Amino acid sequence: MENKCENLSLYIIDELTAREKEQYERHLRMCAHCQHELESLQETWQSLFYEIEEVDVPETLKAEVMDFIFEKNEPVQREHKVETTKKSLIERFKFIFKKQFSPLSTGVAAVLIIGLAGLYWHNLHLKDTITALENEAVGPVQIVSTYALKGQGLAASANGNAYLLQEGSDISLVIELNNMPGTKDKEVYQVWLLKNGTRQNAGTLKPDQNGNGLITYRLPPAHSFDDIGITLEPNPNNTQPQGVKVMGTF
Amino acid sequence: MKSKTDEELMELIVQNHRQALEELYDRYVKLIYSFSLKISKGNTDKTKEIVQLVFLRLWTTKSTYNPAKGQFVNWLLTITRNIAIDLIRKEQKHKGTIPFELDEMQQIQDQQLEDVLQQVSRNLVKQQIQEAKRHLSEPQQRLINLLYWEGYSLSEIAELEKKPLGTIKSRLHQTLKKLRNYFSKETGGARHGK
Repeated sequence: MENKCENLSLYIIDELTAREKEQYERHLRMCAHCQHELESLQETWQSLFYEIEEVDVPETLKAEVMDFIFEKNEPVQREHKVETTKKSLIERFKFIFKKQFSPLSTGVAAVLIIGLAGLYWHNLHLKDTITALENEAVGPVQIVSTYALKGQGLAASANGNAYLLQEGSDISLVIELNNMPGTKDKEVYQVWLLKNGTRQNAGTLKPDQNGNGLITYRLPPAHSFDDIGITLEPNPNNTQPQGVKVMGTF
Repeated sequence: MKSKTDEELMELIVQNHRQALEELYDRYVKLIYSFSLKISKGNTDKTKEIVQLVFLRLWTTKSTYNPAKGQFVNWLLTITRNIAIDLIRKEQKHKGTIPFELDEMQQIQDQQLEDVLQQVSRNLVKQQIQEAKRHLSEPQQRLINLLYWEGYSLSEIAELEKKPLGTIKSRLHQTLKKLRNYFSKETGGARHGK
């Protein structure tokens, strides 16, 4: 029996996490043994339900259940009612208006009211923009995800961490490295973001005397990546790596 | 409404036919009520709450029933148990204590004539379960009761039993298989490996 078959009973009693469930369902499609067992064991589990004493249901219960469900729809109906009373109010208002004002003064008053409403709307809009701007300015910085980096080859002793920070709609990548071997002449460490086999340059750095380095990189909008790789490059500003990989996510 | 199948009623519920919901209520409330009363250990307030939530779920999350995945009644009973267990777990968290009494309800009720046939077959199933359960070992019986009726998770049971989770997992597998085998023996092996 393959290892995954063990999850059959957990699948039946619905105690797998969403991910495990998905994995098991994939396994199930391929595993004749599980397919063979599933239906009868599931039926067994479900039939445990019937170990009940059947009792009479109180007659009032139906009304209570239906009220419970359909009362939830009542507010909608009430709103309709409010709307109709609103309408009749407007009509009454119109009637009073007609009695009090000549067509000319009505026109003038209407223009004034529309003007006022326009100003008010404009004012509201302005307020919204200001609050939006304020919010943006003080928007909290959140760590979206973190990655651990480990050295290899030349920089086997190095290690580091990378953080994806979200500030408003901007996403920045911050990489912090320790124990990096020093660089000679024009040599730099270059960061690459890997996505489906393509690499994107995310900047270069030179570590300090103690081998520590820090780099931040603002990701283009809607940009994502799977892994981070760092190479030791003979010159800065390469668009494709020439040197060897010395660090990466694992 | 009376002549419609459960599936047809569910389709009508999707289109907001209250009568269809009422018909499903009439068909299944006895099962759901009895189950809820047992799982809530005879607490009628809680039983009412469970029944209300089950029918609310039917009314609001209409599209989730998929006939390809099995019988309507099994789907409905699974929903009922999930709702009941959720409620019970919430309360256990509140109280912080663990109620351990099993099967306290003993009420014999008279039956409506038209239900008798259905009831006979359910009673047969019930007898089979009880018969099959008698063949289980003490720990296996406890496992089924804690898991199915008390709503404990496997890891909670492992803790209660002071056994590794792996042991409880394989105990569950053995128990289900044993129950299945007794069922199939009593129904002439027809169910086995279907």
